Amino acid sequence: MTERIYLLPLWIRLWHWSNALLIITLSVTGFSLHFADPKLPLVEFSLAARLHQVAGIALVALYAFFVVANLVTGNWWQYIPKPPGIIERCWVQAKWYMFGIFRGEPHPYRVSEETNFNALQALSYWFIMYMVMPLMLLSGLLFLFPEFAPDRVFGFDGLLPVAVVHYLTGAVIVMFMIAHIYLGTTGTTATSMFKTMINGWHEHVGPEESRHGDRRHADRRGS
Amino acid sequence: MFSTWCQRIFGALLVAGLCGAPVHAGSDSPIDSETLAKNRKANEVCFACHSPAGIAKPPRADLDMSKLADSRVEPEIFNKADHGVMDCRQCHSSKHYGAEYPHGAAGKTETSPCNECHAAKQLRLEPQFNASVHAKVEGVKEKFTCNTCHNVHVNVLALRLKDPAKIVEQDNHGCLACHNSDATFARFAPASDKMPGQKKARPDIDTIHEWLPNTKAHWKAVRCVECHTPEVAAGKMLSHEILNKEKAEKKCLTCHSADSSLKTRLYRHMVKDEQQRLGFTNSVILSNSYVIGATRHPELDRIVIGFIVLTLAGVLGHGAVRFIAALRRRKNGEKQ
Repeated sequence: MTERIYLLPLWIRLWHWSNALLIITLSVTGFSLHFADPKLPLVEFSLAARLHQVAGIALVALYAFFVVANLVTGNWWQYIPKPPGIIERCWVQAKWYMFGIFRGEPHPYRVSEETNFNALQALSYWFIMYMVMPLMLLSGLLFLFPEFAPDRVFGFDGLLPVAVVHYLTGAVIVMFMIAHIYLGTTGTTATSMFKTMINGWHEHVGPEESRHGDRRHADRRGS
Repeated sequence: MFSTWCQRIFGALLVAGLCGAPVHAGSDSPIDSETLAKNRKANEVCFACHSPAGIAKPPRADLDMSKLADSRVEPEIFNKADHGVMDCRQCHSSKHYGAEYPHGAAGKTETSPCNECHAAKQLRLEPQFNASVHAKVEGVKEKFTCNTCHNVHVNVLALRLKDPAKIVEQDNHGCLACHNSDATFARFAPASDKMPGQKKARPDIDTIHEWLPNTKAHWKAVRCVECHTPEVAAGKMLSHEILNKEKAEKKCLTCHSADSSLKTRLYRHMVKDEQQRLGFTNSVILSNSYVIGATRHPELDRIVIGFIVLTLAGVLGHGAVRFIAALRRRKNGEKQ
């Protein structure tokens, strides 16, 4: 039995795919700029610089939209890791990724309209979107407006700490992106989560049909 | 005649000193403090008129103020310049000196040419200058002297300036004084190809550099000549062959890479002090500017790449095990 719930409104889907496009552009151009080497041509340097600048400004605008839309719609609550039992719920989720998924065990978390994310998702999305992204965007803005950066730090150009923060936060986001794309394949089928992100509808298979569905969760709820 | 030759010999000795040592008075000065004091005292006579103070309060009523404005020198700046230890008369004939006014009619033509002291350097640099854009455009070469780009009353050797920001400001001023001023550009400009009887219009400096990202940031951080001169071997003096826009460097990676050419250009004088401070490549450049691609931390790069590779390997490995496990479950299911 397949159950469908309308999980993701249009604005979240549009934001998500725009965000994805910009992050991929910024990752490729950022890599080309930081590891600039005549022996390793990826994107031509001046083109990479311009693309990185334009995509960076667009990402700042998109992030501002994300924050405002989250506040207006109340969607911000989805990203808040809810404390009671969070460590236990994270551990259950991690155990499933480490062992249960290979044994075809049902997914330990059942998505609902009220709570879209499992505990690990909420924690990692909160960390990326509200801790890492602002740091990356602020350091990027300081690159655009270096007059606001300190003149000198420990005898070096004041842009050095800004550059290091930008580089490290960018690397964290690239690692998150790799894991995020892969975990997108861990739905009911390898493509179901990608479809949800396109049409907004989340599908979960009923316990009797589940390949690694939500039997345990359903049982617990039923008990 | 004898005194002129004495001045020239003194000048040559002084230049020899300038090439190897800082010139400010003191223990490192190429001239003794007594001679320096004598020169400065003598120069006060010139600065009585040829200075902002002299122009504001002329010591004589019959001075041609427009000519005087053209020959104004800032004593404080001149005294710090490479030639600031010299007596004005070493370059400007003694006929100009003192109360004799107006000065000799020959005026500027009696100013000693630079090669009187800098003969060896001129011999080496002349072929470079002759190949440069300034010498190849008809009618422009004759208007050029060393002083056109290197203001002898102001300029300080990069070796003495040390601070790359000051070197950039000084050297770019030499270029922008013409290339960012219609009036000065017109004094040197050749005839226009498109408008008969008119001079070539000055190309807008922002427009012709539109291809260069963050143009203003570049002009504050590097000199025009970093791109507008050909590459020279490490440790060698920058070429005096100024390249036009077609020949100028347009490959960003020439500077923005670990083997940045800035080491043989703007930071040539500092490169011997390179100590990879805090583990950064090209840390002497980093002392002044963060140059993406050039000022990297190899250890940090290895750690970051390592984490990204681990993440990729982790998801690929996880996916492969998932795939194999699913196949085995399906196989087992089929058997049952």
